[in-house]
Amino acid sequence: MFRKLRIGAAALSVGLLSAACGGGEQAAGSAGTITYWLWDSAQQPGYQKCADAFEQQNPGLRIQIGQYGWDDYWSKLTAGFISDTAPDVFTDHLSKYAQFVDLQVLRPLDDYPATADIKDTDYQEGLAALWKGQDGKRYGAPKDWDTIAMFYDAAKLREAGVQPADLENLTWNPTDGGTFEKMVAHLTIDNNGVRGDEPGFDKNNVKTYGLGSDGSGGGGWGQTQWSAFTGSAGWQATDKNPWGTHFNLDQPAFQDTLRWYFGLAQKGYMAGFEEIGGNNPTPPDKQIQTGLAALALDGSWKISSFTGLTDTAGNKLDIGLAPTPIGPTGKRASMFNGLADSITKFSQQPENAAKWVAFLAGAECQNIIGESGVVFPARPEGTEKAIAFNKADRDLDVTAFTDHVKDGTTFLFPVTSNAADIVALMRPRMDAVYIGTAPVESLTDLNDQLNTLFEVAG
Amino acid sequence: MATTTTPPATTVDPAAPAAEAERPEARRFGIGRALAWVFMILVIFASLFPFYWMLRTALSSNNALYAGSDSLLPVQPSMDGFARVFGLQTGQEAIDAGGAGQPINFWRYLLNSVVVSTLITAGQVFFSAMAAYAFARLQWKHRDKVFAFFLGGLMIPAIFTLLPNFVLIKQLGLVDTLLGIALPTMLMTPFAVFFLRQFFLGISHEVEEAALIDGASKVRVFFRLILPMSAAPITTLAILTYITSWNEYFWPLMVSYTDRSRVLTVALGVFRSQTPQSGPDWAGLMAATLVAALPMLILFMVFAKRIVNSIGFSGIK
Amino acid sequence: MAIGTTSRPARHAAAAGIRRRDDTRLGLLFILPALIGFGVFLIWPTLRGIYLSFTKFNLLTPPEFNGLDNYLRMVQDPVFWNAMKVTVYYVILNIGIQTVFALVIAVMMQRLTRRTWLRGIVLTPYLVSNVVAALIFMWILDYQLGIGNTVLEWIGLDRIAFLSSEAWVIPTIALINVWRHVGYTALLIFAGLQTIPETMYEAGRMDGASEIRMFRSITVPLLRPILALVLIITVVGSFQVFDTVAIATRGGPVDASRVLQYYIYDMAFGRFQFGYAFAMSVALLIVLVIITFLQYRLTRAEESDLA
Repeated sequence: MFRKLRIGAAALSVGLLSAACGGGEQAAGSAGTITYWLWDSAQQPGYQKCADAFEQQNPGLRIQIGQYGWDDYWSKLTAGFISDTAPDVFTDHLSKYAQFVDLQVLRPLDDYPATADIKDTDYQEGLAALWKGQDGKRYGAPKDWDTIAMFYDAAKLREAGVQPADLENLTWNPTDGGTFEKMVAHLTIDNNGVRGDEPGFDKNNVKTYGLGSDGSGGGGWGQTQWSAFTGSAGWQATDKNPWGTHFNLDQPAFQDTLRWYFGLAQKGYMAGFEEIGGNNPTPPDKQIQTGLAALALDGSWKISSFTGLTDTAGNKLDIGLAPTPIGPTGKRASMFNGLADSITKFSQQPENAAKWVAFLAGAECQNIIGESGVVFPARPEGTEKAIAFNKADRDLDVTAFTDHVKDGTTFLFPVTSNAADIVALMRPRMDAVYIGTAPVESLTDLNDQLNTLFEVAG
Repeated sequence: MATTTTPPATTVDPAAPAAEAERPEARRFGIGRALAWVFMILVIFASLFPFYWMLRTALSSNNALYAGSDSLLPVQPSMDGFARVFGLQTGQEAIDAGGAGQPINFWRYLLNSVVVSTLITAGQVFFSAMAAYAFARLQWKHRDKVFAFFLGGLMIPAIFTLLPNFVLIKQLGLVDTLLGIALPTMLMTPFAVFFLRQFFLGISHEVEEAALIDGASKVRVFFRLILPMSAAPITTLAILTYITSWNEYFWPLMVSYTDRSRVLTVALGVFRSQTPQSGPDWAGLMAATLVAALPMLILFMVFAKRIVNSIGFSGIK
Repeated sequence: MAIGTTSRPARHAAAAGIRRRDDTRLGLLFILPALIGFGVFLIWPTLRGIYLSFTKFNLLTPPEFNGLDNYLRMVQDPVFWNAMKVTVYYVILNIGIQTVFALVIAVMMQRLTRRTWLRGIVLTPYLVSNVVAALIFMWILDYQLGIGNTVLEWIGLDRIAFLSSEAWVIPTIALINVWRHVGYTALLIFAGLQTIPETMYEAGRMDGASEIRMFRSITVPLLRPILALVLIITVVGSFQVFDTVAIATRGGPVDASRVLQYYIYDMAFGRFQFGYAFAMSVALLIVLVIITFLQYRLTRAEESDLA
């Protein structure tokens, strides 16, 4: 029924469009205004610069940027899909795009001259492959990437007599937690000033936790929570990636790691679920700012949030970066994730939209984005610009993030179909494990449910 | 905050009338009255404290807010939050202050909000009053069945109507227009019809009948008698409708695409979290909330007198 | 559902000749604009939604009829039943507290003082949207950073995880919405109180009746039509709680605040299972119709006792 409506709507809008353009010089169809949506307002100024450069090089084409916050963004996009009011190009996310491919609302970039020759090798390794659908076609042009590292408050380190260099080579294991757990315990202080590794430590009245927490991680495969640990334990979420159909949450490597990780909360070294605000947690950067945590794992997209933190008097906090700890495999690990730009089926001018996508994925725009210092662009030279910007402007060494890419210690965000169903099943179960009302073994049941999802979908 | 409508108040409430019942002669200055005032003061405090907290947050510096969370006064007092609301900060300044890098065209959004809310209120109250009169006072076949049907409309979950209505607005060519935002609630809401009908039911028949015997038509009775007599409930409904449409967020968000039709609530949504893992721009958000609520407060203060003073119920025996 | 006609006692017989006149044409004319809005923007989409609840529908490809599959799934879905339970618990808390408070506040606005500013203050929470109300209380009630918990600590109590513990989350959400709506509800009741002639209270006072006595034997009976309206409106609204949950808890911890509307919304917009989401909406609609019908009967909303 909606479909019928849409056809009617399309006919009507063509009528309106031709009426509206009646007196114009341009023929309908090449009206030349490309709409582009993104959700991160912090990145809008950078992309506006890209748009200005694009307009200069392509006379007759205009870019109109629309920005909506994350939650609104997807709802409005959905409404756009059914009513033919979707943008020409939009910023896409790995956890969403498989569904859009299934729903056939994206145009394969291979079909357009401007984007047909996008080469995987122009981007950081592995990024571009994530955006190829099960049909082998490319549905997104890589724009940026992110990895995980540890942010810390240098003042808290000094109080504890810890040198920043001591954080460089921490190791962890699921049995005794290794030097990482010792460090976290040492950075923990209870209300009486007793440290977590000293006798008499009161785990129920902690002032500063050694490790900050970003929740249970059920919403995004533990990206900023436990993925650096499960990854360095050698665990993969699915049988293959992208497009896995069988899940591995029943494996000991996963369950042992999570038992240890959430055990940190039981030991008083990491804030509990209730304390951080549950499903809508106080973000790790604010936990560090308020002194609730001394160090925290978080993503590279949060660099500007962390470096902007101040104390009550308005003085900048001294924030440092360290790499994620080395795990049982003898290596570090970080989830590797990235955004891309996609063209919608509803675009009336896909050739022009493809030109804009190619520009966004090209060297010029990615260098502009790199110099604005919010994210790491997908192209290596754009990444270099971002590294230089952080060094010069923030006096911050971001190699903790970039070494993962250089050393090949990344693993990719698990891209699957049914991503929304997976989150809906996973989030409550992971919460329960974090809270402590369900044992880690309960995740085996969850794994069965996830597998069933794919059997049904066949 | 523990004081919002929590136990201390409830213990006061039953005590008040009980004490009065024992000593009716002391009613005017008795302990019951004192306790009633204590209750009222608690209610006032609970109502207003969150607003103080908004003001205190709005006047703080965003980056220092978390660090100074236990301060009762603004943390590092600053007007930046308000500057962002009125679009007086450049994008980069705003981002550095923990805000969003969006251009804000405040007065345009304010005007859009006023137009939308006025359209909705005027249309909805007038058309609903007509329908309510038909349901309360006119005699026609199946009247009560149709009314029951209307009442059923109250219960329809928004999920049914959201997308079809959006598709319809698109077909009518009203996407990104103020009329498109107003139209679905401009003709009626079941609540408005129900509300006014209940009041019309309470209006004495004698007055109406006297007018009818004098030869007035029912249309005339409606405009010259029923409407003026119901000034108080109609004003009440109008104010509530105005506030409701002023605060509407999701529907205008769907319909509006550019500044042309962007209303205040939607525009100020940029102060909420933009990415899943960031907190909102608290100072900006609270400043925005206060600024957006101010016109409503003024409106209410202007018309509140009318609700109390125009007790247009002289017709009730 | 059938609602009894408002038959008037015989004492109006004098004017019966005029009133009995059939107003069908005028009646239709008067309800026409409302009827158009009602049919186009409410009934038509709902009928379509009911039809779609018998289909597998992902919004973008044509719906496939699948009979009662969605309803069978619903009956077997533990998350649905949990959502129903959570929603009912929320409604009981929210409506119970809100109605008592609103009634007391309204009576006080009428009997204690009629100052306009008081009404203004009580209504101020309604001036902010649900979304903002949820945000401000998230901020005030935060376990670590909220001033609410700081005050609890100052007075020597333990901090409470208002929005992040399974026990507290629904009471907290219920109270947040009481905060926003109690003034609104009180104002509606107050508007009803205004329709009660002052002479009745004067008569009561002359007979030496106490405030509580007058409340019971004058206020409550005469207020009944408005009270019925308020209850029906607020119960229906309360069942549709969504914004606060979406902003403050996203259904958690675990499933403790996964109210029905939030589950439905996520099923539709998050998971694109519109057929199933519509089936659950139909269930919600049926529950609301039954509850409203019962309330209508129990409160005898048709009779005003006044005329």
